[in-house]
Amino acid sequence: MKKFILKSVLYIVLILLLLEVIVRVFHLYTEDPPRFIDEYGVEKRVPNHDGYAVTGNRNQNYSKFHINKAGFNSFREFTPSADKFEMALVGDSFIEGFHQNFSNSIGKQIENQTEGIEVYEYGYAGYDFANQMHLVHAYEQDFQLIDQTVLYLNYENDLSRAVYEPNTGRIKMLSSTIFKIRDNIKLLAYGSKIGIVEPLKKLAQRGVAFNDTEKGYQTNELKDSEEEKLKQDQKRIANFKSLINLYGFDKTKTSLLLDSRKTSERFLDFCRENGIMYIDFSSSFEESKKPTTLIYDHHWNAHGRTIIAKELANYIKSKKISKR
Amino acid sequence: MLFNSLDFLIFLPVVFVLYWFVFKKSLKIQNLLVIVASYVFYGWWDWRFLILIFFSTVLDFLVGQQIFKNQDNKQKAKYWLWVSVAFNLGLLGFFKYFNFFIDSFIDSVNALGYNMKSVWTLRIILPVGISFYTFQTMSYSFDIYYKKLKPTTSFVSFAAFVAFFPQLVAGPIERASNLLNQINTRRIFKYEQATSGLKLILWGFFKKLVIADSLAPIVDDIFTNYTDYSASTLILGVSLFSFQVYGDFSGYTDIAIGTAKLFGVELMSNFKFPNFSRNIAEYWQRWHISLSTWFRHYLYIPMGGSRVSKLKSLRNIAAIFLVSGLWHGANWTFVFWGGIHALLYIPVFLMGRNRVYADNVLAERTWLPSITEIFQVLLTFSLVTFSRIFFRSPSLSYSFDFIRQIGNKFYYEPYMHPMGYRMFDFYLLVALFIVYEYLIRRDERNPFKFSSPIVRILLYTLVIMSILLFYDDGVNRSFIYFQF
Repeated sequence: MKKFILKSVLYIVLILLLLEVIVRVFHLYTEDPPRFIDEYGVEKRVPNHDGYAVTGNRNQNYSKFHINKAGFNSFREFTPSADKFEMALVGDSFIEGFHQNFSNSIGKQIENQTEGIEVYEYGYAGYDFANQMHLVHAYEQDFQLIDQTVLYLNYENDLSRAVYEPNTGRIKMLSSTIFKIRDNIKLLAYGSKIGIVEPLKKLAQRGVAFNDTEKGYQTNELKDSEEEKLKQDQKRIANFKSLINLYGFDKTKTSLLLDSRKTSERFLDFCRENGIMYIDFSSSFEESKKPTTLIYDHHWNAHGRTIIAKELANYIKSKKISKR
Repeated sequence: MLFNSLDFLIFLPVVFVLYWFVFKKSLKIQNLLVIVASYVFYGWWDWRFLILIFFSTVLDFLVGQQIFKNQDNKQKAKYWLWVSVAFNLGLLGFFKYFNFFIDSFIDSVNALGYNMKSVWTLRIILPVGISFYTFQTMSYSFDIYYKKLKPTTSFVSFAAFVAFFPQLVAGPIERASNLLNQINTRRIFKYEQATSGLKLILWGFFKKLVIADSLAPIVDDIFTNYTDYSASTLILGVSLFSFQVYGDFSGYTDIAIGTAKLFGVELMSNFKFPNFSRNIAEYWQRWHISLSTWFRHYLYIPMGGSRVSKLKSLRNIAAIFLVSGLWHGANWTFVFWGGIHALLYIPVFLMGRNRVYADNVLAERTWLPSITEIFQVLLTFSLVTFSRIFFRSPSLSYSFDFIRQIGNKFYYEPYMHPMGYRMFDFYLLVALFIVYEYLIRRDERNPFKFSSPIVRILLYTLVIMSILLFYDDGVNRSFIYFQF
């Protein structure tokens, strides 16, 4: 028995080491550049980091990122001035764009399609609308010089709060020892990414191994009721109003980027009634013959991002013409 | 509890430690632990059905003693045997076949022009593993009746034999002469046995998580949307289903045998590389062996087997295949599937070639198989795969439509994975799996038979790596044979 246990432990250690080597050699893990909260209370990445983001078990999507001096994934530095035409693209992971080489990002594609314009991509995984509004407000000096601002709004997820509070808890958690270990042991980072450690996490969190799916379905049913939807819309619209009142919203140069298929008609009515411009990419996505999202998650794939870039380029061209 | 769940990965070492370190001194206490662990294992799914297992255990324990007591009075012994058979088949009949027989009866009445509505159809949950443990307990009564076994006097041992968790829900269906004897004997921890168990568990996980689970979404897509696809895709779908069901069931069996080994118990082999069979008779000597031998011992031989007239032998063959089909599920598709196998087996039997491959494997003395052998293997695989259309379809009409679709759209069209994955990965996976199984084809109980420890560690690593590479948390991880 002693031999069995000792040999088993030895084999497990050797196998884990070999797995770690394989995961590193084939770069199966994804990198998550460190985050911090700056002096303005804006949550972003630590500047000057390069690396690779990976999606899928078998490197189905592999792309390079570059965190610029401002702390965002972008091919360019943000240097707004009065004599240039700049566009700011603000949003969450969809805008941050770790799913595409930074050198061919949405911003880069817009610049390629539009002459004399610089695009600043303020994308950060986890931003909701409160983060975005606070960022525009916090970097007011820069945004005064920027000619057009587009805020990406994922209606169902982004309007859950009425005021911005920096998420210090998340920053602390990500810089905790457990997360540092996870980031340094690439096998763990890989396992975490593909969901294989999910049951362990759930076990640790709730003391049970698996979700009670029946309860999950019941909750969804409740959420889908008309009464519930109305309540949610009212709450989201109230939060939106609160945020634009609190941080300001320049209707002349700010637009929302949204998918009307996933956005409540009540909210769209509200925007139309209040002169809030929005760019709706739903029809372009619907018309696309190729898939617009990645296999392993719901983020836009390269094709989806090209469609978004085209939409925005067309939009900005019209804005430039009207400005002249 | 599923083998491929976190619950089991915690449960197994806990029971292992208790078994070898805490309750090691007394066989009775060790067997009690086996019962408790097995009931927890089964009750994890639905504790209410533990009552069925318990009743089946009590009844067959008592019946076994009565049969033995009345050995000199054949009629009484037979009466007690029928009590066991009636009870176990009654359980099966109610939980598994009640609705099937009622609906089939109503369909036949309606076919005669009458209008009858089903008012007897019940909402019955099929208790997991019922087809397996009822057959196992019946084998005990049969063996005593045929004087091949003496009944055990220990209820604890018998209950541990019935509920032994590694093989409780999906076999192998053990005969009492093998498993009960081991449970009645003091087990000693053997290093070689335990390591061989771990290797089988690892190989079983590979077959389940990598082969079966990664092919499942493709097979599901093709069978669900078969009207959209051409012949090439439909043939691909049913061929991959052959690998899926093999990976799923033989994977389960490997984990079961491996787990039993960790507790010092040797279960019988259930699969011996059936995909390398050279005719249908060899296939049935290599696929779900415990069920085939059960039917041979307790149905085919008592009916006269092949020692009766040719006509009666053919009747016996047809009977075991049809019953074996029905055993799989309460649906005419399974009966039809059994019927196809009977039709494929009978010519082999008539030519006297049903035992020619019983004691040897493909390319027995050479590295590579001969052209004839390759042809035989491909033909057998194709026939078995064709029959699986019925095995996989929800109804007979569905199966026939599927086959008709192959005929109507008989051309090649590339297939795209339903979730957009690269299909090459899956083709490569299946190809490598076939090659590796070919390399290890002589010993189904030792999938990592390489003398060099470095080669073995590399293989273990590759197997675990491939589990990670093909892991998909969106896949339903239950085992196909749980529904039987």
